[in-house]
Amino acid sequence: MTGTHLSLILLPTLRCNADCDYCFEVKTNNSLTLDRLALLLEKVLDYMDEPHIQKLTIYWQGGEAMMLPPKWYEKAHEVIQRLTVERDKEIVNALQSNLIGYNKKWNRILAQMFGNNLGSSLDYPNLHRKLPGGNPHEFTAIWRRNFQEAKEAGIDIGVISIPNPETFKVGAERFYAYFVNDLGITDFQINTPFPGGPITETKKTYPLQTDQLTNFLIDLADIWVENGYGNGVKIGPFNELIRFFMEGNAELPCIWRDNCVNEFISIDPHGNVAQCDCWVASYPEFRYGNIFTLNSLENLLQKSEARQRLRSRPRILIQQEDCVECDYLALCHGGCPIRAYSTTGSFFTKDPYCQTYKSLFLYMEKQAVKLAQGRITGDP
Amino acid sequence: MSQASLLRDPYIYNIPAALVDAYQGRRVIVRSHDPAALAAILAEKNPEDLDCLQLLSLTGDMGPLLLAGASVPVDLVMSSPDSNYPQLYDLAPLLTRHPVRVTIPVVPGFTKAVRLASSLNFAVKLEVMQPDPELVQETSEVLAYYLHRSTVSEPIEFFHSILMAFIEEEPLNLWTIQEEDPVFYRYITDQGEETISPRFVAADVGQNPSFFLEPLINKLLVKEGECAACEFFNACYGYFKWPHKEYACDGVKALLETLKHTAHELKQDIAAYHKASGKPHP
Repeated sequence: MTGTHLSLILLPTLRCNADCDYCFEVKTNNSLTLDRLALLLEKVLDYMDEPHIQKLTIYWQGGEAMMLPPKWYEKAHEVIQRLTVERDKEIVNALQSNLIGYNKKWNRILAQMFGNNLGSSLDYPNLHRKLPGGNPHEFTAIWRRNFQEAKEAGIDIGVISIPNPETFKVGAERFYAYFVNDLGITDFQINTPFPGGPITETKKTYPLQTDQLTNFLIDLADIWVENGYGNGVKIGPFNELIRFFMEGNAELPCIWRDNCVNEFISIDPHGNVAQCDCWVASYPEFRYGNIFTLNSLENLLQKSEARQRLRSRPRILIQQEDCVECDYLALCHGGCPIRAYSTTGSFFTKDPYCQTYKSLFLYMEKQAVKLAQGRITGDP
Repeated sequence: MSQASLLRDPYIYNIPAALVDAYQGRRVIVRSHDPAALAAILAEKNPEDLDCLQLLSLTGDMGPLLLAGASVPVDLVMSSPDSNYPQLYDLAPLLTRHPVRVTIPVVPGFTKAVRLASSLNFAVKLEVMQPDPELVQETSEVLAYYLHRSTVSEPIEFFHSILMAFIEEEPLNLWTIQEEDPVFYRYITDQGEETISPRFVAADVGQNPSFFLEPLINKLLVKEGECAACEFFNACYGYFKWPHKEYACDGVKALLETLKHTAHELKQDIAAYHKASGKPHP
């Protein structure tokens, strides 16, 4: 880590109250204790001292993060506040939850620790998100109820949605209407599925059909530009791409950073450290080490061969693939290593959604030109 | 390379790291093949005197330099861009702490290095001498990339400064842009000898390098010379006529023509924008 900011994807528990077909994590019944949380954060902050990294963002994920009770987070928050003062660092917390365990008891800690913001996820149509032994309809019904309750409590909820073949059948217009008009969601993000973790029947169908996915995304982008852009609706990655092409900079998703190894680590409740949640939970051979068994995180990261190999990915990829010829190299750098690895067995290959990304970049570039021309002429 | 610093001191000295102590109090560019040596200088030297740190090798352990603080500009000098370019990925984190430029020699295959450097948001400086027709062709493709790709957000020199000079109608020539104007720059060899820039190390620049350009220009501006009738002389100032004054400039004139034409189009676009938006032209 050599920047001024560190992103920690923290999995305080690997327990989960859902059983989604495409989940890429191997679940266990383990959770992080508060004592171990304090020790873990001390080591992370020690590591941040030498390269003068001032800001830490903790992405609280799982498993399912709400399998730990609100009181656990209240105590965790006390630990973090103490460390913030003692270590003179800025620590930002972001929570990702499936909302199934949400109730009003969460509201206080959501306000105090997470600034009344929450990330969740729902698909349309929902085929794969389920409760154990249940079906997608039950999941969606509980999610919608809890989403509504949280929204009424003043919590801003951003939603990640993963398309599936039924999504392509219903089309972008209905998809957009479902999230924006029916649910009133103004901030959501489209993620692409990949066959990470234990193989399931659903994952055998991944990656999704590129042409169908591309057409869907371009249709959705079109609808968003027409109806949502300028009206306060944000859809990732469209809004970031428009910003990139219009302003020259944007906070692009992790899959498109030049090297995610420079910015992210993930730690599971056992203290295992790896690149992100999928690597740490499902691929022990790619773990960097254990933060509780080694003296320092710096040593752990420096000595990890798995990390060195992953760090070398873009350098090797640019020689093996055709990325350097691509007009959109600046936006992608070969894409996501876990998507590549889980699809091909090697992360020294391009992201399997390369063609979709290129088509989307080209389309958003043209849209940005139209929007810029509209700004000049005063046309909407 | 700020104007303020130029007013304070007539020269910026490009010196080897070993001569840092001998140039105390002067404005310097410190160069080394060793990232650790540059990191050590960064820790010890007054940043006010440091114009830039110049790293001459991209293959060593970058750890010390990546962790060094202070926002001093860093210049990464590539020797073999066609094979070195993947190393730029390991150097990208420098951008979180320093303004970083990659200096790329215009040699066959340099395009890959330009595309990757630019895609990583490094500024780029092209080191160009007297390119043959094939290199001119490759350079013109890189120029098109700089002018027309919306993903390019940092300058690619010398294109950028010449384009801006054409737009602003300001007097600026390639000797200055390429940091080889003997009025401003001195290059100190590893043996401590003073010249203008690395490509002049084996050349006779006279007793006072400040006066090197005048006789060269006088020779070039003879009536029958190519420079005498060249519309780009003020931008080039004979830059492409050294070391061989017989060098035929057709190719590089085409590059400059493209930049001039683009500047004209941009000026028209800007004027049209102000007219359409009703905002006054600055």
